[in-house]
Amino acid sequence: MLLAGGQGSRLGGLTRKRAKPAVSFCGKYRIIDFSLSNCTNSNINTVGVLIQYKPFLLNSYIGLGSAWNLDNPFAGVHILPPFLGDAEGSWYNGTANAVFQNYEFIDYYDPEYVIILSGDHVYKMDYSLMLKFHKEKKSEITLATIEVPWEEASRFGILTVDGDERITKFTEKPSQPDSNLDSMGVYIFNWSVLKQALIADKRNHQSENDFGKNIIPQQLKQAKRVYAYKFHGYWRDVGTIESYYHANMESLSEGHFLNIFDPKFRIFSNEDILPPHFVGASAKIENSLICNGCIVHGKVSNSILAPGVYVGEGVQISDSILLPYVKIHDGSVVLNAIVGENAEIMSHCIIGAEGESAPDQEGITVIEDNHSIPEGSIIEAGTNVYKTHSI
Amino acid sequence: MLSKTIGIIFANSGYYNLQGLARERPISAVPFGGRYRILDFALSSMVNSGLRTIGLVTPHHYRSLLDHLGAGKDWFLDRKAGGLFILPGVMHSLAGTNHTFCIKDIHHNIEYLQKDFAENVVITRGDQIFNINFEDALEFHNDKQADVTLIYKECDSLGDPIHEKLLEMNEHQKVSKIKPQKALENAGQVHPYFANMLIIRRELLLDIVEKYSSNGCMDLMDILTINMEVLKIYGSPTDSLIGSVRTVKDYFHRSMDLLDMEVRENLLLGENRIHTKIVDNPPTRYTSQAKVSNSLIASGCTIAGEVLNSIIFRGVVVEQGCRIKNSIIMPKCHMYANSKTEYAILDKFVKVNEGNVLKGSLNNPLVVFKSTVI
Repeated sequence: MLLAGGQGSRLGGLTRKRAKPAVSFCGKYRIIDFSLSNCTNSNINTVGVLIQYKPFLLNSYIGLGSAWNLDNPFAGVHILPPFLGDAEGSWYNGTANAVFQNYEFIDYYDPEYVIILSGDHVYKMDYSLMLKFHKEKKSEITLATIEVPWEEASRFGILTVDGDERITKFTEKPSQPDSNLDSMGVYIFNWSVLKQALIADKRNHQSENDFGKNIIPQQLKQAKRVYAYKFHGYWRDVGTIESYYHANMESLSEGHFLNIFDPKFRIFSNEDILPPHFVGASAKIENSLICNGCIVHGKVSNSILAPGVYVGEGVQISDSILLPYVKIHDGSVVLNAIVGENAEIMSHCIIGAEGESAPDQEGITVIEDNHSIPEGSIIEAGTNVYKTHSI
Repeated sequence: MLSKTIGIIFANSGYYNLQGLARERPISAVPFGGRYRILDFALSSMVNSGLRTIGLVTPHHYRSLLDHLGAGKDWFLDRKAGGLFILPGVMHSLAGTNHTFCIKDIHHNIEYLQKDFAENVVITRGDQIFNINFEDALEFHNDKQADVTLIYKECDSLGDPIHEKLLEMNEHQKVSKIKPQKALENAGQVHPYFANMLIIRRELLLDIVEKYSSNGCMDLMDILTINMEVLKIYGSPTDSLIGSVRTVKDYFHRSMDLLDMEVRENLLLGENRIHTKIVDNPPTRYTSQAKVSNSLIASGCTIAGEVLNSIIFRGVVVEQGCRIKNSIIMPKCHMYANSKTEYAILDKFVKVNEGNVLKGSLNNPLVVFKSTVI
């Protein structure tokens, strides 16, 4: 069960038109590609995708799941929006509630185990290894965990384990952490255990119906066999503008590039078919990633150009991420910015200009999707530029 | 209207082997334009015109063709009804002959035509580069209630080998003669040249195949000429770019034409996209030493050297200090440090070792066979 209903409000202009899992990443990908490809690479062929916030672009992107090899005759990808039943039915109210409302879907396939995934993270993980661990430990619930630096441990929800990896304690933001294991939001449940937990959670009216906040602490209290699986590998939280920016930029270094694009553990995506990119006579490209369909006439350095981007004559782009189909017209300068999908920057603009005061969000400027910046505009570093909505 | 139309592509044309580029593959399977194969253009044109049943006449060495096509999914041709049909060609049909469309190839696969209920059949060759929407021609065909509609292009150049057949038409576009072009005869004048694409009524095509298939390998065009008086044959114009590939020089120039924005807009960037096999490569990575200008670069490459006026296919590695000029580098080639390449066409998986120099000329580009190590 892939939780893809998140709004991702901290990503500002990038998620006003689309759910966070549908946001572009590393030029070629969208965030949800990672969870879906992980499923493919782990031989999981039945995936329910729980959606709620601005679902259209996400739905059309996922389609039948064939781009991730998930279109199977007896399983496949199922998009699960909130729905009405005879007596009840409502919007998804928390992650646990979303899964609870779809218990009939899970019962239809009658699985032994259910894995709960979050569509908000960028990570490469073979879930089959985690399931093996789950079986070996005769666990009822297994949480995937990642080690965070000790000095930062007090910012996370920290899990304490005994010598057998069994979780003994869960503390939200402990002042004196006794462990550095953070939950990744990936859970394996025995279906029978999950079903009971969801029903109990539904009856508890004080509950916020959240896996991390309610279900897991409740099950620990009931002394269920809850284990922690330690994951070592590529995992990035892209919940904020800063973390999104850095996770993208990392891929420019050779080591991380190989990590993300490793052909042995491929991340699939459902991209548009575009011609090869064209590099004009006056172009200069340095230390950058360029996708199909781009046309580059200007200077690009330390940047990522997603598919279909146009960079005009005399343009200078540095340390920036241009999302699909962005157009930057002649003579503009884009520094340290994220430019949203289909946005257009007219001639002779400066995006990310030095301001008088110290800039916010590490000086990263964000332009909303579909926005058009008029000719000659100067936008200070660290601003979030939103489109004015007439409706 | 269009669901009443099916297609046939003769992907087995190729009595020319492009100095080895088409030695182990039909010309329609030769890689082209950074990420495509030549066949993609004919196939995508048909699909974009609404055709969903397409028969592909294959030559004997069709492994690479089928590797590329699979079940036709990337062209939306993996269908419950209709879809992609592989029609194995006759062993000695177009290879070695000068035919445009060999009747025996269709006779061999007659069930493809018999089983369908389509009104019309669009027929093209698989060795031409074009992006044409056949809807206009089909509308014209229906309006005229024609038996056959030949698609032609008005042009004056004699440089392109597609200019083999001239059409003679009256003021209602009715064709009275298909005559072979003699070199230099009409240089400099604009004439309607047959573009090697036509629309024919399915029933008529069935009749023709039945009647003439016992006569050996006959060309459909010759049969139309013989029956010019009794058939309603019309000509419908197109103004799209059409380029055919029959020699290495053709291949080189058709490829290099893509560096021209206008050509790319016409062929690749319009409303109708050229579809091809999806490989899901990573983006292309440029290091800080990269120096690229006026070139087309596909995905999955690593560029650390200099690339000028060239076309680089998917997954090519260009190491530091390399110089690639006026060349076409096919998928997965590896150019080691400080090698120099000029006016060359490198087939797939070629390795050019450190410091080596390859040099051809504009009129005689150097062709390097698949998997060669230099």
